[in-house]
Amino acid sequence: MGKARRKLRTRAVAAISAVSALGLVVGCGSSDSGGTGGGKKDGKVTITMGLFGVMGFKETGLLDKYMKEHPNVVIKADVAGDEQTYYTALQTHLAAGSGLKDIQGIEIGRAKELSDTQKDKFVDLAGVAGTDHFLPWKQSQVTTADKKVIGLGTDIGPMAVCYRKDLFKQAGLPTDRDEVAKLWEGDWSKYVDAGKEFKQKSKDDKVAFMDSSSGLFNAMIYGNSQQFYDKDGELIYATNPVVKDAWKLASEAATSDLTAKLRQFQPGWDPGLANSTFASTVCPAWMLAHISEKAGPENKGKWDVAKAPKGANWGGAFLGVMEKSPVKKEAQDLVAWLTAPEQQAYLFKEIGNFPSSQTALGMPEVVDAKSDYFSGAPIGKIFSAAAQEIPDEQVLGRKDGTIKDIFSQGLTLIEAQNKSPNEAWKTTDKRIEKAAG
Amino acid sequence: MTTDSIPVQTADAPPGTVQKKARKSTAPGGRSRQLFRHPGAGRQHHAGPVAYILLGIAALFSLFPLYWTMVAASTDNTRVTQTPPPFLPGPHLLENLGKAWQDAALGKAMLNSLIVAGVIALSTVLFATLAGFAFAKLRFKGRNILLMLVIGTMLVPPQLGVVPLFMMMTELGWGQQLPAVIFPTLVSAVGVFFMRQYLSEALPDELVEAGRVDGAHSLRIFWSIVLPIARPPMAVLFMITFVHAWNDFFWPFIVLDMSNPTVPVALTQLSAGYIRDQSLIMAGALLGTLPLLAMFIVFGRQIVGGIMQGAVKG
Amino acid sequence: MEDHGQAHREGRRLTSGPLAHLRSSPASHARPQVGRRAPALPVTLQEGRLPVAISTSTPPDGAPDAAPPAGSGSGAERQRRSTLLHRLDVRGAPYAFIAPFFVVFAAFSFYPLVYTSWISLHRVELSTLNLMEWVGFDNYTALWDDDRFWNALLNTFTIGVLSTVPQLLMALGLAHLLNYQLRGSTFFRVAALTPYATSVGAAALVFTMLFERDFGMINWMLSLVGIDNIDFENNKWAAQTAISTIVIWRWTGYNALLYLAAMQAIPRDRYEAAAIDGASRWQQFLKVTIPGIRSTIVFTIVLSTIGATQLFGEPLIFGQGPNGITGGADNQYQTLGLLLYEEGWKNYQMGRAATVAWAMFLLLIVLFVVQRVVKRVLARRA
Repeated sequence: MGKARRKLRTRAVAAISAVSALGLVVGCGSSDSGGTGGGKKDGKVTITMGLFGVMGFKETGLLDKYMKEHPNVVIKADVAGDEQTYYTALQTHLAAGSGLKDIQGIEIGRAKELSDTQKDKFVDLAGVAGTDHFLPWKQSQVTTADKKVIGLGTDIGPMAVCYRKDLFKQAGLPTDRDEVAKLWEGDWSKYVDAGKEFKQKSKDDKVAFMDSSSGLFNAMIYGNSQQFYDKDGELIYATNPVVKDAWKLASEAATSDLTAKLRQFQPGWDPGLANSTFASTVCPAWMLAHISEKAGPENKGKWDVAKAPKGANWGGAFLGVMEKSPVKKEAQDLVAWLTAPEQQAYLFKEIGNFPSSQTALGMPEVVDAKSDYFSGAPIGKIFSAAAQEIPDEQVLGRKDGTIKDIFSQGLTLIEAQNKSPNEAWKTTDKRIEKAAG
Repeated sequence: MTTDSIPVQTADAPPGTVQKKARKSTAPGGRSRQLFRHPGAGRQHHAGPVAYILLGIAALFSLFPLYWTMVAASTDNTRVTQTPPPFLPGPHLLENLGKAWQDAALGKAMLNSLIVAGVIALSTVLFATLAGFAFAKLRFKGRNILLMLVIGTMLVPPQLGVVPLFMMMTELGWGQQLPAVIFPTLVSAVGVFFMRQYLSEALPDELVEAGRVDGAHSLRIFWSIVLPIARPPMAVLFMITFVHAWNDFFWPFIVLDMSNPTVPVALTQLSAGYIRDQSLIMAGALLGTLPLLAMFIVFGRQIVGGIMQGAVKG
Repeated sequence: MEDHGQAHREGRRLTSGPLAHLRSSPASHARPQVGRRAPALPVTLQEGRLPVAISTSTPPDGAPDAAPPAGSGSGAERQRRSTLLHRLDVRGAPYAFIAPFFVVFAAFSFYPLVYTSWISLHRVELSTLNLMEWVGFDNYTALWDDDRFWNALLNTFTIGVLSTVPQLLMALGLAHLLNYQLRGSTFFRVAALTPYATSVGAAALVFTMLFERDFGMINWMLSLVGIDNIDFENNKWAAQTAISTIVIWRWTGYNALLYLAAMQAIPRDRYEAAAIDGASRWQQFLKVTIPGIRSTIVFTIVLSTIGATQLFGEPLIFGQGPNGITGGADNQYQTLGLLLYEEGWKNYQMGRAATVAWAMFLLLIVLFVVQRVVKRVLARRA
């Protein structure tokens, strides 16, 4: 064997051993494996947070601000982009009892499951000073049966209807937002009627009245006290008149060809916004930023916001403190501060997250907020009004998110796969039984 | 065990592919049925223009998504999702790359990923070649059954193992540490199976015998005879194992966090916000892929040439 | 590579010396001549020293490696010791070589595997992992009665065939091209594996751009020739074709490189012999190249079959999000892998997900058995 070959091989072996050794040394770091990563040392307090994409504390500099005001506190926040992956990791960590952070974000779709099955792992935040400023229905979403509160609310998603003034105009519909609101005030079926009128009179037949029937369905469901489950945790979707009405109306919109056959936030929806393929969409407060970006600068001033027939809420999150945390008190203080009215108003100003604090709703940043993109609509007032309309007690269910998705699927069957509403309902019914039963 | 007990279906090229190659062979050299020797179909022949065209088309399809990642990373966020999408690079490339690097703390993540993927690839290749050699050329009791066992481990999808594995890692004290990501994947059944197949047809029994006759023990035979022959598949196995380990997201995301991330875990930091900065995310994705390309260039050279080159000149 | 000359010279001598009979021995029917292929031989084989006997049970006298240093004992004792060591080596080394695989597997993968099979006999949810309700084989019977399972099975099969067959064929052709002496060969090899290395997010964006219903590039091109927009997502065959395209894009280069590596082991003189016999380049490809990498082809078929059965990454790239996990509104492209993912990571029903995983395992066993039976039947016919 040639000398060169041998040397190469020896060097390779040396390299391998070096890398492996390095790997094991670097890998086996000195960090307290399994703990939350938080702690007190030399007068400094370290608090760790696990957040997901939409919360905005890190990006808007709120964490830095807190650290400046409390120089002995160091905050380390991990932000995961995708809530689904975040929740899977959270559940795995909860199951194993390790890998949790001091503070964990809770998305509304998960709130019920966590408060039912993992409430012991969360600190009770019921009595924390200065936290009685929230909208009552918001906190009810994270209150357990025995009155334990596992999180403090961050943002909410009150809903309105975003529409294109120019497209409404060419179909002979009113364009002023108050008049538009009057068009369908109090009843979603009037919204569908307006859609039929739009379809009849629109000069451009490539434009649909609304983007998606499932948007309409969700808007109708989310405003109600009881949705898919009742107070005892029983599935009532098949008999609840709220659900049946929503299904009827949404499938009517689908079969009357009033929709662009899209699903919100699925492929095709963004290009739909960019290319103006629909004239209205049900929009929670946090969707405005997305619309303005995807529709682009050329559509600025063409969009406007009108009050929805009935108030509803889509989305929202909470911050919880874990029992395992070695710095529970400090974490609690941080959470209370981050969700305080001033900070919520600040977040609204910066990234459009709508406050869940009643006090914040009364602050000038919110009351006077207007959106340039949406023709100067007074979004603070519109969404506040929608938020106040939501009933105080919201009955959530553990599989709400899954059931909502299955309904969207069912509506797509009607919209895009030409199934009849009856067929689609049967399929949906079967699927829900399997998923939630 | 002979190769016959593994599902065998010889691949018959359909007429379409035939045409492709036939065209190529009408390039320099021609094609006639006389008695003079035709140039061989293989290594020693120079590629004709048709070959280059075909390879070019294949390269185009292969590289386009990565190219578009670069285009997206260099355009500003609003333009990226407009239709028609941009196809030419924009002006913000370096700016976005820098921001992505910073926001996702990629320096540490890159080092971690390098260690993780490097160790996993090295160990996988080494152990796979060892085991592959044993299964291919050494005789021992239970060889067939054990090989079936190895293949059997490939048959159950691994995703669900995440939860019990995490609990194990917690017990071992490896939570949020690199060993948690490295140790479970130190070996690969695919690797063993691949090396076994390659060595069973590439390594002549006589060579092993000759080594034995000379008194070489198994490890020496492995080191001096098997390794040189096995260089091409080892290079390929290294590349694909490295990529797999580098890009692995789900398990590292569950067991690691930002105190000790690998590249895919770190890149999730970029997807934050209601408005996803798509160009920033793509910049991060591009940064994450570049080290892999560098590795390809180094190891890709090893696939062809080397040991056989000298022999050819005889 | 300066030692090639030496090895080659040694090889030549091997073919003309006592080992010459090996060249045409039946055992080496497909084997190249030892001489031409000789890589660097063990250091112990020095020029001029040729083994006189081809016996593996006793090493020749004075074999430097196995022999202990002179003076440590009588010649006979040395022989006995070296024989013992040798026997230990021949018997034991194989087990030592395969041990690392089984040790690591036993340590880290065995328990999760057992766990997965255990929870398939229970009703377990991720949020309440400690609450396991024993249901015996109910999960399995429920799956058997579940339309979604059979739908996913059928989809897995159709997408599997659609994606695997063209992929492997193209990989063969691609490998053949890459095997030529090329200018810029490294570039093409890098390009071949780039799809495998491209991040999932980037791939998802690009393929959405291609297949999107209203404004996608493919529909735009079709509109140029007057064809209506295809709803790739909601049309079953369009969706499955699109997914197969993604699979082919991602894995062809991977398989091509595997074939390319295997092709390196085919000795040149086989091609020359065929050429002398008048075989065209195409016939050489058929008669020399393909049989020469047969084992590797078998390997890729097995690997692709397993991959096709467990397929879930590419359908997810196509569908994206919760809609992708269900394989579309009507499960039109849901594969078994997606069904597993849906049960486990969307519905968080770990027990049911584990059942799907084991169903996939059983499916592969069935495929293997069917393959054996078919082969035997065909062999009997022939």
